[in-house]
Amino acid sequence: MMGPGTTWYIAVAAVLFGIGTTGVILRRSPLIVLLSLEIMLNASNLALVGFSRQFASVDGQIFAICVMAVAAAEVVVGLGLIVAFTRRKMPLDVDTLTELRG
Amino acid sequence: MIAASIATPIVDWLALSPALALLAAAALCLLGAVLVPVSVRRAFSAAVAGTGFAAAGILAAVVFGRSPEQQLLIAESLTRDRLAALTQILVAGFGVLAVLISWGDRRRDHVGEYYALLAAAGGGMIFFVSAGNLLTLFLGLEWFSIALYILVALDTHRNASLEAGLKYLIVGSFGSAVLLFGSALTYGATGELGFNAIREATGADDPLFVAGMAMIIAGLAFKASAAPFHMWTPDVYEGAPTPVTAFMSAATKAVALVVTLRVLVTAFPEQAEIWSIAVAVIAVASLVVGNLAALAQTNVKRLLAYSSVSQAGFMLIAIAADNDLGGKALLYYLIPYGAASAGAFAVVAARERELGREVTLATLEGWGWERPFYGAAMWVFMLAFAGFPLTGGMIGKFYVFSAAYEAGWWWLIVIGVVATAVSVYYYLAVVRSLYMRPASARADLVVAGGSPAPDPALELAIGAAVVVTVGSFFFVQPLIDLAGKAVLSLPF
Repeated sequence: MMGPGTTWYIAVAAVLFGIGTTGVILRRSPLIVLLSLEIMLNASNLALVGFSRQFASVDGQIFAICVMAVAAAEVVVGLGLIVAFTRRKMPLDVDTLTELRG
Repeated sequence: MIAASIATPIVDWLALSPALALLAAAALCLLGAVLVPVSVRRAFSAAVAGTGFAAAGILAAVVFGRSPEQQLLIAESLTRDRLAALTQILVAGFGVLAVLISWGDRRRDHVGEYYALLAAAGGGMIFFVSAGNLLTLFLGLEWFSIALYILVALDTHRNASLEAGLKYLIVGSFGSAVLLFGSALTYGATGELGFNAIREATGADDPLFVAGMAMIIAGLAFKASAAPFHMWTPDVYEGAPTPVTAFMSAATKAVALVVTLRVLVTAFPEQAEIWSIAVAVIAVASLVVGNLAALAQTNVKRLLAYSSVSQAGFMLIAIAADNDLGGKALLYYLIPYGAASAGAFAVVAARERELGREVTLATLEGWGWERPFYGAAMWVFMLAFAGFPLTGGMIGKFYVFSAAYEAGWWWLIVIGVVATAVSVYYYLAVVRSLYMRPASARADLVVAGGSPAPDPALELAIGAAVVVTVGSFFFVQPLIDLAGKAVLSLPF
């Protein structure tokens, strides 16, 4: 097997997952939050493909391709919601969405 | 010359038919949204979605009858067994209830899409419970979740609905991403995706493997709205259209808990010592957080949302027990819980349609006398949640505690009993405001637009929910036998 070992792929995937998690928790704009969610999903994809290469099996790669399709569907719903928000002139800020609380 | 021979897997169409029936219903509803004239579109879509759910339930019952042995289908990615079939019957039943509850909704736009998404969400749940590997688990989860995100936000003229949709999307996707990363780690530790293959591949307590398992549990707990992963539940339940809340509270919880049971017992039996403690801790957290937060609520939908968090705690006790009595207890508990939950939100929907505004304990005052049927039904549902006799809720709790006793979790039983005692206070607060407080003459409680139109579909749904809630008390033995047959397909 050429190139860096699986450990490196997993290390990068873990760092990406951490960045994505931090983004979802700390950022206030729903757009950036959606972006961070994509980073989390892609971190998992990298881990899947890395492991797939280690085991020389295609299972992980098939999984990663399915995840990409799902991620696209998810982001379509998210962006659609954000468009609906802007049309109703609602603030695009997660912290000020407080109509529902108690 | 190249001989083109691709080994095609044998597809068991009968096992897939419940999900396919609902997909067909969803496609027909979407076509109806374009081709059927507006005047009959609501009737057409509701009839198609209702037929789809009924057909899915009947097909799942046929699968239940014909699958005494567990079979793995399509490259071991799907499971055909009685556990999946029984849960599919439940989901189909809750779907029919949701269609009936939705009928009287004053929705003018997106009628076809609404029923299409409801059927699609049901199809996703039915696919999800038959998942046999980590890929189908993730696909099923996202399939029904994405449909539910849109359903929650479908009332685009209400800010609350949009807000709930975005919150559900963000927190739900976060949970899915955690589950996905856990799946990737489990795959890395074992080199396998199938639940049975993972069980056979494990040897040592690899940290990668345990981390993967923990993240899968957390991801599923988000969907089951168990504390500390429940923070979306009250906001989403309150903001979503009430029929959608009724469907989510019953069906999503049922599938998430059954799949949690299946994954943990099938894929991770050697780590049972670790996960049963983790599940017990989540159960206690759900009981404590759900009950304490419910005590402080005045909005009835939020109160029921926190109550659903604490009910998830009871059902997680059954999973933590890790024995076949626990499996039976979970499957039995889901029947009265789901019926009572869908029914309670249906009663809230009835009051909401009369008032045209949110239902709080104050706006329910004296309503039980005005509307004796709805009041009595709500009474039954609250008693079922609290676990009073003559409702299935009592027997469900009894079985859950028996399973915990058999597993030696005596402190879980103590916490469960205390939680039940606390929960009586807020469940009876609903009954108290229905009957014990006379309605004060308040101008803001005048029914919008005079006397409300009768809604036989809603009354039928509530009546059916009452029958199931009470009937599950009197027909315990047949139901437990069914649950016992379903649990046989798990390797306890």
